[in-house]
Amino acid sequence: MNALNLSRRQWLASSAGLLAAASLPAWAQTPAKVGPAHIVIIGGGVGGATAAKYLKLFDPTLKVTVIEKNRIYIRPYGSSEVLNQHSSMDDLNVSYDALRSNYGVNFVFDTVTGFDPIARTVQTAGKQKISYDRLIVSPGIQLMYSAYAGYSEQVANTAVPSGWIPGAQTALLARQLQGMRQGGTFVLAAPPNPYRCPPGPYERPALMTEWFMKHNPTAKVIIVDPKDSFVTDETMMLGWNRLYNFNLPDDYVKKMRDKVEIKQHAGTSMISWVRGKDGGRTLRIDAKKMTIETEAEVIKADVINVIPPMKAGQLAMTLGLADASGWCPVNRRTFASTLQPNVHVIGDACIADAMPKSGFSANSQAKVLAYTLIEELAGRPAPEPLWENTCYALAGKDYGLFVADVFKVIDGKIGRVNTRARYLALDAMPAQIKLGARYQQAWLRTFTQDCFA
Amino acid sequence: MTQNLYKNLNVAARNTLLALFAGGLALLSYAANESASNKPLVLTGIAKVAPDKGAISGELMAHSCAGCHGTLGRLGDESFVPLAGMPVGQFVSSMVAFRDGKRPATLMGHVAQGFSDAEIRAMGEFFAAVKTEGNQP
Repeated sequence: MNALNLSRRQWLASSAGLLAAASLPAWAQTPAKVGPAHIVIIGGGVGGATAAKYLKLFDPTLKVTVIEKNRIYIRPYGSSEVLNQHSSMDDLNVSYDALRSNYGVNFVFDTVTGFDPIARTVQTAGKQKISYDRLIVSPGIQLMYSAYAGYSEQVANTAVPSGWIPGAQTALLARQLQGMRQGGTFVLAAPPNPYRCPPGPYERPALMTEWFMKHNPTAKVIIVDPKDSFVTDETMMLGWNRLYNFNLPDDYVKKMRDKVEIKQHAGTSMISWVRGKDGGRTLRIDAKKMTIETEAEVIKADVINVIPPMKAGQLAMTLGLADASGWCPVNRRTFASTLQPNVHVIGDACIADAMPKSGFSANSQAKVLAYTLIEELAGRPAPEPLWENTCYALAGKDYGLFVADVFKVIDGKIGRVNTRARYLALDAMPAQIKLGARYQQAWLRTFTQDCFA
Repeated sequence: MTQNLYKNLNVAARNTLLALFAGGLALLSYAANESASNKPLVLTGIAKVAPDKGAISGELMAHSCAGCHGTLGRLGDESFVPLAGMPVGQFVSSMVAFRDGKRPATLMGHVAQGFSDAEIRAMGEFFAAVKTEGNQP
């Protein structure tokens, strides 16, 4: 194959080649016979599924196999809407059937236990040995339950759920929140950076505040946070100011008041945010007493939702793709692992600089990688990569906001190229804010289709 | 880029694309010629194939729109505008107006800021050439 690429490049470089090449686009020429390469993808989340779909879309002759533990994907994006009864658990289920029947993607439902990067084989718990030409790994995240004293996966499964990877814990949290005693206290422990879904730990309590106002009007919602700021903070808290009588911290009021009217409400809001500098960092969970201890105080709660610190999914550890940071270093153009040969790592697990750990980012990375791999396999130079991310979020069911960015490689790192603005304008009209919420709901559908159908 | 996508292109638009690509390919070939004279052609992995700065690809960039606007810009009954089959002029003028703040937007103004005139046109040419059958109004 290398020899073939070489001769094709030499041919292109010759003057006769220049003329011939100018008469037909590359994709209209008889494709170089490279044989059906086998691309194996480990992980059937957003990154892995999108990579599989687009590889087959670009070149139906490729052999593409996804190795995934679970037969049904439970989508994390939009999963907080189960808590406020806007969605059901079933709404989160995504089938792999369309990728199999419409695109011809093979699925192997098994757990990867190791690989041989030189022989290019993957081993599974089911004793399968699968060979590949190129390997894409999309490991997602794992939650570091043990980061807080008194917290563990077992506690999360039974008493103090996280639900940041959706599933049974999401359903448990929904039951706890919807069944909370009148006037009860819901505490959400936000995670330190970096983490999956930047606006998510703030959207979730916002949606619950809206729900409580209707069903449990004397309830309290407290966000304890190791951070002093978060992505979409100004627009999210402006929404709380308008919807839930929330008073923004003074430094935010000073920053924002020239651009938008911020109300000063008498009394306390149902929702409050305790920042890192005010002792918001979580230290300990006591599931029996239902207390959460932060640097500042011990809070007695009725429902506690912990979003623990995160690192790359276990798969990344098993395959030796993560460094001491807990995340996977990659070449910024090709997302090739810098630790293992012939492996590409995409999605939340990889280190992608300014790109957030979001489904949209994983989807965008998957497409660019698919395109780049196809070009490489055909012996053509890879075009300049460009990625996008949009995180939609809700401050209430009719109050939409977002962060939207475009990324390129700048001086060897992935950087933003939309440098003027990235958030909903503070002076956005009510109609635009409502439209933002409609876009968020539409996106849940269109995005799922783009990844899985 | 591929035979599969190629099937999705209108015949008329395909011819336009053919002409447009001719220019782009000449540039690309020039780049290949440059590297041939300066660097050994050892092709063992993407890292070595990828030049320091690749050519822009309207198609590669256009797929980043699909997270909202549908795969290949095709959408059914949704709140986003389908981009498949949109005339180049309409795509370009919309994106430029978004970028320059002349057309009110919630977020498209921010996204459009990320693209140069040439990049916007290249994406527009890609979408114009996609057949609209997949759109279900």
